[in-house]
Amino acid sequence: MIARRATVIGGVLLAAACVERVSAPGHCPSFCPSGQIQTVDTVLTDVISRDSTYRGYVTAPHAPVILAADLPGFVEGRGIVRFNGYGARMRLGTTDTTTGAILSADSARLQLTVARRDTGAHNLTLAFYRLPITIDSTTTFADLAGPFTDSLVKRVNLDTLLARPGRKDTLTGDSVVVDTTNHVLVLHLKFDTAAARYMGTDSGTVAYGVGVSADSLASIGITKATLAWQWYVRVDSAGTPVARTPGSLGAAFASFVFNPPAPPLDSTLAVGGVPSARSILRVAFPRFIRDSSQIIRGTLILVPAAPVQGAPSDSFVVEAHTVFTDVGAKSPVIVDATRTDTAVIHAGVSDTVQIEVTNLMQFWASDTTRATTLVLRPKAEATSFSLIRFYPSAAQAFRPALHITFVRRFPFGAP
Amino acid sequence: MTADRRSGGRAVGTVLLAVAALSASRPDRLTAQDSQFGIRSLGTPGRWESVRSRSTGGAFAPFDPLSPLAEAALADVPQLVATAMQAASYREAEVAGTTSALRETRYPLLNVTGRVHPRLAISAGYTTYLDRSWDVTLRDSVPLRGGLERYTDEVTSDGSIADLRVAAASRLTRRIAIGAGLHLLAGSTRETAERRFDDTTFHTVQQLAEVRYSGVGVSGSVLLGIAPGLTVIGWARADNRLRATVADTTSAETDLPRMAGGGILLAPSPSVRLGGSVAWRGWARAGGGAFDTWSWSAGGEIGSGHTPLRFGVRGGQLPFGPGPTAPTEFAAAAGTGRAFAQGRALLDVGVERLERRGGGLTERVWTALVGLTVRP
Repeated sequence: MIARRATVIGGVLLAAACVERVSAPGHCPSFCPSGQIQTVDTVLTDVISRDSTYRGYVTAPHAPVILAADLPGFVEGRGIVRFNGYGARMRLGTTDTTTGAILSADSARLQLTVARRDTGAHNLTLAFYRLPITIDSTTTFADLAGPFTDSLVKRVNLDTLLARPGRKDTLTGDSVVVDTTNHVLVLHLKFDTAAARYMGTDSGTVAYGVGVSADSLASIGITKATLAWQWYVRVDSAGTPVARTPGSLGAAFASFVFNPPAPPLDSTLAVGGVPSARSILRVAFPRFIRDSSQIIRGTLILVPAAPVQGAPSDSFVVEAHTVFTDVGAKSPVIVDATRTDTAVIHAGVSDTVQIEVTNLMQFWASDTTRATTLVLRPKAEATSFSLIRFYPSAAQAFRPALHITFVRRFPFGAP
Repeated sequence: MTADRRSGGRAVGTVLLAVAALSASRPDRLTAQDSQFGIRSLGTPGRWESVRSRSTGGAFAPFDPLSPLAEAALADVPQLVATAMQAASYREAEVAGTTSALRETRYPLLNVTGRVHPRLAISAGYTTYLDRSWDVTLRDSVPLRGGLERYTDEVTSDGSIADLRVAAASRLTRRIAIGAGLHLLAGSTRETAERRFDDTTFHTVQQLAEVRYSGVGVSGSVLLGIAPGLTVIGWARADNRLRATVADTTSAETDLPRMAGGGILLAPSPSVRLGGSVAWRGWARAGGGAFDTWSWSAGGEIGSGHTPLRFGVRGGQLPFGPGPTAPTEFAAAAGTGRAFAQGRALLDVGVERLERRGGGLTERVWTALVGLTVRP
């Protein structure tokens, strides 16, 4: 009897067990909600104003790379680097505190990393020149015209070196390693006694200039951080010259000079170049979009005033950021990957540039106290001579615009 | 005396078990069986019937003091009675050659009724007025930025509008009883709207809102004993407007229906009861796509012992539908009950097969019903 009751009750409870599945394909409009998600797509041509350009955020001495280029009609850039020496004397051994005069250098080895080059450039050649050790951040292209004319100490053809067995030139002592992971070339270049002169009166300080040439598209970037100079010297040990190999040296100063200088800013919106330029655009974010809509895509449309000059490898990435507060040229940029939108600027192309700024616009919509200001800057500033100029808001026909796709507030609660 | 205490203890235990079982759910589950016909409208009207009444097709509802339809039936309640029910539905919605299998569990009724005076009985409880739980997914495309962007929409609503009723009834004479009720309509739905584009360049749209509903209504009924074993009843109800508010802002106000109905109950012998009822509801006031409806039901209950057999059919119209005419429905139901604890606890079970048609949509529903009534 009890078992039968338990079976009955159990069966009833099982049949009435909690279940839930209410999702079904919609057959509209008959069996869909009366309210629909409404997508609106519009181009706002008059919301960007008070735009301006500023220059000087990153200069050549502070750039992460040395730029060398020979692009006729655009720019000629030359790297300059100085390595400080060990002085006139050095210790004879690691445990012996006795020092000896550095008599001369047998040779030296320069390690440099070519971070960027154009693979379409043939006969890409690096030429090294001895420079005055007085070079500094005020040195100009014209100041070094003489040394770059008459002080050539070494020339390396990268194509030839890359073509050699083992990528080594046993005659000159040069070698190259192709880093396919980081897409860079690591050069180990030997400077002989004539090219690497250890002058005790200069404390062993040396300075060199780097020029580049090719059949065409000669433009490279050399990573400053990995520059290394290795001396192989002879030291006087109680009247006997002995060979010593001290530790390698990093660059004490590394920069580049170029000609012609960066053109002056005009009414266009410039981004890139050296010293790096940024453009600031103020957006009058429509209240009806900000307050009662959900932005699903926003695109900043910029019309270049002229094609970007430079080799293809000079293409660069433009980032759009917003700011913590708008105080003009020194507006602090919000550097946040989730609120940064980018576009690649290709050299030689003058097509309209479109930068997706959806993240930024959603950020503005979520916090209405934020300044609705856009800052356009290169992703890596002062790493390319190339500079793009966009038409400003004053140019009515080509002014910057915002292409916004948004969804209106869903009519919740409507029958 | 000892036996009474033991049975009383069982009854209390049963009550506690019932309360625990029937209240162990989220408030938004306190709704009735839903329908695709209710998506493009105010919702799906609930059935103001206990398991016993629903097992007779709804024919006994006007005469059932535990069904919150007509208050006059409360007049004959002898003691404190509490009832609650659970309904599990397995629904197939077929439209344009596509069939969707849906299922849901609801707790659409809770009622406590008692006598406060020899000539006055009162009742309080809730039932579902409108169910607004649904989830619609849709694949479509929209021309954007020179291309055709495909997307998936999902619009959901989860919740209901409850009818909170306070009712009183009195038997004026041996043949006449009257009753009246005050109805407070209250509830909320959590609604979401989401659009996902296939092209992820377009960010996903996600919006949600808590929609609150409110309204009031009054009802009254008269029960007449025509002859021994023959009773008729008439009832009427008027609700005012349903106000929907989102974030304290009124988003919609909808006129609610007037309604009226009647029924007849015939008891030729103590073990046989036959009933029928009819109702009219003026839903057309609610706006476009709404219709006035007629519904009818007929059923019976055989057996006066511990396990009576109940059966019934009902039919009629649904108030909301896409076409020029109201959708129709037809259902057959059967059930039984079992008394425990010397009649202090009643377990009612039932099953209903329902078919709705209209506007190209056909819904077929199996519903399992479980009700628990306690008379402490």
